[in-house]
Amino acid sequence: MGDIVFTGIGVISPLGVGRTRFWEACRKGRSGIKRITAFDTSPFRSNLACMVEDFDPAQFVPPSVYRRMSRISRMAVASSVEALADSGLDLEALDKDRVGVVLGTSYGSSGHVDDFYVSLLKGGPRGAQPFLFPETVPNAPTSHIAIFQGITGPNSTFCHNEISAETAMLYAQNLLLHHLVDVVLVGGAEELSPMLFSCYDALGVLQSAEGDHGDPVRPKLNGGIILGEGAATLIMERRDFALKRGARIYGELSSGVVTGGASAMGHYETTGHQMRRAILSALELAHLTPDDIDQVDVSANFSGELDLLEYEQIVAVFGKRKAELAVTPLKYLIGDFGGAGALRTAATLLSLHQQSPLPTVTAETLQGLPGRTLHWTVHEKARLNATLMISSTYGGASAGLVFTRHQENESS
Amino acid sequence: MRPRHSKRVAVTGLGIITAIGESLPAFEDGLFGGKCGIGPVSLFDATGFPCAVAAEIRNPNLKASFAPRETKRVSRCDLLGLIAAKEALLDSGLDLDHCERSRVGVVVGGGAGGMLSWEKFRRASWSGQRRPRPSLVLASSPCTLTDLLADRYGLHGFRSTICTACSSSATAIGYGLDLIRSGAQDLVITGGSESLSELTFAGFNALRLMDPDYCRPFDKNRRGLSLGEGAAILILEDHGRAQQRGVHIYAEVLGYALNADAFHMTSPDPEAAGMSKVMAKALDAAGVGPEALDYINAHGTATKINDQMETRAIKNVFGAQRARNLAVSSTKSSVGHCLGAAGAIEAVATILALSRQRVPPTIHWEEPDPDCDLDCVPNQSREQEVRIALSNSFAFGGNNTALVFGQG
Repeated sequence: MGDIVFTGIGVISPLGVGRTRFWEACRKGRSGIKRITAFDTSPFRSNLACMVEDFDPAQFVPPSVYRRMSRISRMAVASSVEALADSGLDLEALDKDRVGVVLGTSYGSSGHVDDFYVSLLKGGPRGAQPFLFPETVPNAPTSHIAIFQGITGPNSTFCHNEISAETAMLYAQNLLLHHLVDVVLVGGAEELSPMLFSCYDALGVLQSAEGDHGDPVRPKLNGGIILGEGAATLIMERRDFALKRGARIYGELSSGVVTGGASAMGHYETTGHQMRRAILSALELAHLTPDDIDQVDVSANFSGELDLLEYEQIVAVFGKRKAELAVTPLKYLIGDFGGAGALRTAATLLSLHQQSPLPTVTAETLQGLPGRTLHWTVHEKARLNATLMISSTYGGASAGLVFTRHQENESS
Repeated sequence: MRPRHSKRVAVTGLGIITAIGESLPAFEDGLFGGKCGIGPVSLFDATGFPCAVAAEIRNPNLKASFAPRETKRVSRCDLLGLIAAKEALLDSGLDLDHCERSRVGVVVGGGAGGMLSWEKFRRASWSGQRRPRPSLVLASSPCTLTDLLADRYGLHGFRSTICTACSSSATAIGYGLDLIRSGAQDLVITGGSESLSELTFAGFNALRLMDPDYCRPFDKNRRGLSLGEGAAILILEDHGRAQQRGVHIYAEVLGYALNADAFHMTSPDPEAAGMSKVMAKALDAAGVGPEALDYINAHGTATKINDQMETRAIKNVFGAQRARNLAVSSTKSSVGHCLGAAGAIEAVATILALSRQRVPPTIHWEEPDPDCDLDCVPNQSREQEVRIALSNSFAFGGNNTALVFGQG
C-alpha cells in the first residue's frame, strides 16, 4: 500500500461549483444546508437539504453532450472535466485502454427512475418513454464519463449506500496495484431527486427546519439526517507513473479497509466493533499509530445513531487524546449521500496539499447531548501529515482510509 | 502457460435459482436438457406490452425453506439471492464457525435490486395513498443483498456491491478473484441476483429490444431478448485452503478483464473493439493462449446487433477459422436475460461445462445467420473436451466483462 497518489480534483458541491469554491467554503466551515426551493416540500415532513445550486453544465461540456443526461450524469461528467484539466494529463497521449473510470453512487439517477416509472403509470405500456430508460442504470454517469472522454479501460460502478465512493476508491486502488491501469478517474456522485427525498422522508429519518423561509437554518445535532447531492472526480495514479510525468501530487492513499458487522435493517452496525476494526486495520496497514493522525474526518450525519457510534469508536481508538480531540464531520456541511466520500476525500487532499486544516468540531459534539449546539473551529496553517477518514453506512458496513501528505524526498 | 500469480482461486460451492431449475441439480438438468423457462409473466400485469413473456420463477412458495422472520421485509430479488447463497454455502461444506470471519468477504453484483418493492411504494404514492409502507423503500437499495448475506452468516470481511447493469455479477466474481489473490480475503461469497420488475420490463419493451415470443440467440430470425430472473452465488476460495480441507473443486477462476466501449449508452460499438479487447485481455490475465480455449458462454442476448457484434468480436480474437471450431452458446435462450444476475448465472453454466465436459446448448435455434456463423451448439448439449472456458457479459453503457475458468 501507499503507492497510490492523487493528482487531480474536480468537485460539483452544495458549497459551490468547482474545486476552489468548494474548498474555500469548506475550509471556513460554511454550511450548504438550506430550506429546499428546488421542489415542493409541502407533502413531506422535512424541508432541509444541501442542494447543488448555480450549476451550469454548459461551463464544462457542450449542450449536445449533456442534453439527454440526468442531473447526476451532468454533475459527474462536469467533475471529471475539471479533475482531468487539473491533473495536467494529456489523455490523447495515453493508452486509453489503461485508463479506468470507477464511480460510487447509492442510486444513480433516482430522478430518471421515477420519471420513467411515472411515464409508465400515466401512459400505460405504450406510454413509457424509451429515452428515459437508459439513464436509469446506476452505471450511466460512469459510462458517460468514458464516452465523453473516450476512455476505454476498466469501467465500473459501486453502489453501497454511504460507502459507495469509498468502495469505488478501493477498487480503483486494486486496479492500479494489479497494474491493470495506469490512471483511474475515481469518484462519487448522487442527485437529490424529489423521489429520493420522499423515500427518506417516508422513513421518518430526516431533519426539518422550523420558522419561516427567511429565518436562518440551525441544524440540530441528533435532529435527523440532512441529505445532500453533488459529484467529485479524483485522478488516481501509481506514484511512479505520476512522478515520471512530473505531476503535482495532492496526497497519497496510504491504506483502505472495508469491514462489516451485524445491524438491524435500515440501521448502522449495532456494536461498532467492526467500525473500530476498520480504523485499526487502516492504521496498521499505513504503518501509523493513532498518535500519527493529524485529522479525523468522520461520516456523522445528524442521524444521532451514526454520530454516537463514531464518537464511541473514536474515543476507544484515540482514548489518550480524548481531551484535545477534534473531528471533521463534513456531512454536517455538505449533507449525506452515496458519493459523499469522494467530496470528503477531495477536501482531505486539498487540506493535506495546502497544509491547511479541515474545520473541526469537538469530538463530544458527536454525542449530541441536550443543550449542545454545533460550533465549528476554523484553523490557520498547520503541519499535516496524515488524515484518517471513517465512513459507515446503514446495513452495517464501515470503511477506514488513511491519506497522507506526499513528501518530495520520498519520491526517489 | 506459466501462471502469473502465486495464489490460485478455486470455486468450491455453487448455488443457483432460475426459471429452468431452482437448485443446482435442477438447473444442471434444465440447462443440458435444453429446457426453456420463458412464458407469460404473472408477477405483474404485462397486458398491453408488445412482449408479455419472461423467464419468471413460478413458485409461490419461495419462502418455504426460511423461518418467517428471515424473509420479513426482504425483497424478491434478495430472497432469490438468499436461496442461492444457502445452497452454495451448504455445497461448499464450509463450517463458518471455523473460519476467520474477518477473512470472508461478500461481493455481489446487482441490477434493479428491490425495484419491485419500490414500485409498490411508488404506485401507492402516485395513486394518492397517504402513507405507503416505508419498509418497501428500505428493501430497494442495490446493496441490501450484500449486507443481508454478511449479516445472516456473521461475516466481518470486505463488502461491496457492483452495479453495472448486465455485467455486474461477472465483475463481482472478478473482484472476488482479486481480493483472494492479493491476500486480502481467504474466501469470497460472490454472485448476483435479479428479480423481474415493471421498470426493466417496460424499459426493454419501450426500447423495442424484446422478442414477443421467446429469444433466439444467433438465429437469423431473432427479434430481441427475453428478460429473466434468478440468482447465482459462487464460493471462491484460496486454492491451497480448498485443497487442504479436501473439498470438491468445481473449477479454477483463472482471470478476468473489464473495459468500456466508450461509444454509446445502449448500442455496441460497430467495430466490436471493446468486446474483442475484453476477451483478449481476460485470456491474457488468465495466462492462457486463444488456442487453449474450448468453450465460450456468450453474452448472446438475441438482439440483432449484439449477436452480430459478439460474433465479430470472437472472430477478431480467435481468427475466422478457429472461431468456427469453438463451441459458443447462449444460456439466455433458456433462462432469459437476468441482467444483474446474468454474469453469475452464466458463470455457473460455464463452470458446469468444465466439470461435466459437456457444452450447454443454445435453444430455439432454427435458421443459420451468415452474420452469426459460429457453432452455437444448436438445441442440444453435447459431450466434448472443455479445458478452458470463457464467459462474456456486456452491459448498457458499454461495460464489458469477460471471465476465464479452468478445470478444478
